Amino acid sequence: MKTTDYRQRTTEELEAQLVSQFGTESHFTVPAGYFDGLTDKVMGRVAQRKRRRLVMRWAAAAMLAGSVIAGGLLLERHNSVQTANAEDIQYIEDALDYSMIDNMSIASYLTEADLN
Amino acid sequence: MIDEKALIQQLSKPSSKEAAFTQLVREYQEPLYWQIRRMVLVHDDADDVLQNTFIKAWTAIDSFRGESRLQTWLFRIAINESLNHLSKKKQTLSLDEPENSPAASLASDSYFDGDELQQQFQTAISALPEKQRLVFNLKYFDEMKYEDMSDMLGTSIGALKASYHHAVKKILAFFENND
Repeated sequence: MKTTDYRQRTTEELEAQLVSQFGTESHFTVPAGYFDGLTDKVMGRVAQRKRRRLVMRWAAAAMLAGSVIAGGLLLERHNSVQTANAEDIQYIEDALDYSMIDNMSIASYLTEADLN
Repeated sequence: MIDEKALIQQLSKPSSKEAAFTQLVREYQEPLYWQIRRMVLVHDDADDVLQNTFIKAWTAIDSFRGESRLQTWLFRIAINESLNHLSKKKQTLSLDEPENSPAASLASDSYFDGDELQQQFQTAISALPEKQRLVFNLKYFDEMKYEDMSDMLGTSIGALKASYHHAVKKILAFFENND
């Protein structure tokens, strides 16, 4: 391993040595017409991203609307069940009134029916 | 040369945003590409990183307040994207193995027209720590002023000068040790 003491030399001197050995020219190249098509390629991806964001917004809005509708339907169903139960109870009470049967008779009837 | 102030104003309006961004891409694609390419070396990788840089810029453009120059802001995104790309690549391939390094693939790269000495030069540069490599590329190939570099990298001028000095010394030492 060689031990050149670079501490004795300034950055400019060291840089000059590199420049004389390797130059500063870039040896990287690109495919023909690469930069001509690049803007369209990038803007195509931007448009794709905008479309995707729009679709996602619509999907989110649809999900929200769906949730609201489903929630509304559930609430309505719950209320209608409660209404139906109240109606049923009223119907039974009315029927009992009309039949003029007292509660004791119903109880004994049910017991007999169950025994049979 | 574009009127940066006017371009920033157009970018802030929804009606002119896309047209202004198209102009921005056209204006900065080449300088950004070469900066990225010197970091990642391979054309296909540079193409991916450059496109991702612009997509990131598009998504963040509404938060650009004009505190720095547009070019400085874009270069910062490009640098971050390049470094992210290199670290992801490091995770999948062991870049410490000479045969896995992008510099080793330059010999068969149809988009590199340098001779063997130039390939070795790139190998020596790619052996530098990432930040040092960045400073070296900006100063040596782009002749960027330390003041501009300091704005872009958020590093003091003294630290940048020291970094460049170390980078140059390491490259010369690389060739001495490989003689």
